[in-house]
Amino acid sequence: MTLIRYIALFIIAFQSNAQISDFDHIDFRKADSIALACKSEGLDNLPQLSYKLTSNLHTDVERFRAIYMWVCTNLTNDYGLYAKNMKNRDKYRNDSLSLQAWNDEVTKDIFRKLVKHKKTICTGYAYILKELSKLADIQCEIIHGYGRTSTINVAKLHAPNHSWNAVMLNNKWYLCDPTWASGLENPVSDSLKYEYIKGFFLVNPKFFAVNHYPIDQNWTLLGDQAPSFESFMEAPIIYGKAYRNLTMHSTPKKFHNFINRYQTVRFQYQLQKSVTQQHIRLEIDDGFNSKKIRPEIISTHDQSLTFDYTFNYDGFYDVHLFIGDDLVSTYTFKVKS
Amino acid sequence: MKTQFNFPMKSFGLIAMMMIAILAYNPMYAQTQTTATSTQSNQEVTVKGTVNDENGPLLGASITLKNSKIGTVSDENGAFTFPKALQPGDVLVFSFLGYEMKEIKIQKNTSFLKVVLETDIVEILGALESNKPYKSKRSN
Repeated sequence: MTLIRYIALFIIAFQSNAQISDFDHIDFRKADSIALACKSEGLDNLPQLSYKLTSNLHTDVERFRAIYMWVCTNLTNDYGLYAKNMKNRDKYRNDSLSLQAWNDEVTKDIFRKLVKHKKTICTGYAYILKELSKLADIQCEIIHGYGRTSTINVAKLHAPNHSWNAVMLNNKWYLCDPTWASGLENPVSDSLKYEYIKGFFLVNPKFFAVNHYPIDQNWTLLGDQAPSFESFMEAPIIYGKAYRNLTMHSTPKKFHNFINRYQTVRFQYQLQKSVTQQHIRLEIDDGFNSKKIRPEIISTHDQSLTFDYTFNYDGFYDVHLFIGDDLVSTYTFKVKS
Repeated sequence: MKTQFNFPMKSFGLIAMMMIAILAYNPMYAQTQTTATSTQSNQEVTVKGTVNDENGPLLGASITLKNSKIGTVSDENGAFTFPKALQPGDVLVFSFLGYEMKEIKIQKNTSFLKVVLETDIVEILGALESNKPYKSKRSN
């Protein structure tokens, strides 16, 4: 029955271009300020919290925005629980009974910590977003799948590791990731640094699919254009801050690239806002030295960004794209002579 | 001495008509009031009940009138008395973090609700976004 419901919903609501720009006419400042005003609220009474967040707003997208903003700015990521959960899920991955027992144990722990400390890991964010939305009569689903980051062994991603949300607004499904919008792993202290990233709200599904792959492929919202799991695994690494700068990543399409000496590679992106040449930087690391390059921009027309780079020496390079101070993406290039 | 009392017939007629009108209105008013009271007492109900899970009473489950701030929480016996009289058609939302939310529509004869909340089955996953630059492992 659930399956039929989803199929029906996809037929009605499938839109591969569903993204934040559909709501350019909406001013989210009121929703954001309501979320801020509810900062002291706890999670012990979800119906009242949902009412306080949404009752003075007039559109579903604003109501959802207030809930989303509250979730992103009030829940904190529990690094200890995250690390323990990752370790045990990996340990029990071929032992379904132990995995189930661990999941039951961690679930209790998660809900206790949520109410008491408002601390959680990604399923907790996705769960609270869904529950608060349901209370405001907004259909919101938790989507489980694969999330690729620079610190997860991308070649050995053997089980789902991440949860995010899809929300139905004006008969269209949209995607958002409240966990990644609200924190970044700090590589120095192994803890989480709070930093809200606005680009994870109603993201362009094509861009989202570069580092999010749902277990149920339908939830890419891309229909026939959905990438295969194999091409997802081969995609470049994009970082949280890419969502602050880009709405689309076009080329290079792969993380590992094999090219010949003197071959020119095209880099192409869609930007959230125009930038000048001085803000764009490539850092090219050959394992010994890292050099910074300011590529010559070919085009910034219509907020698109296109530039070329020619590799003149053979070798193996990690290539990082920076926009301003934000690390956006990484590729590797094996250059043959 | 003769007291002069000049009361025009016109005014007398007016007062008489007003008195008749008041007398006539009074029973009508009482009737309307009686009807209103009986309708109210027929339709509004005070709802009590208990909230449990499979292991017994749930302390601290929230019970809220849908789309309002009005609500209460269950005590250590899982018991509650809803603070506002409810009308048929009102919807109560029963929620407790980690349990599936339940909505119950108040019927004409609803006065006691025995609610069992079921544990929400949630697969717990968590990947963290990172701004740590990727670094290839090199054999040389």
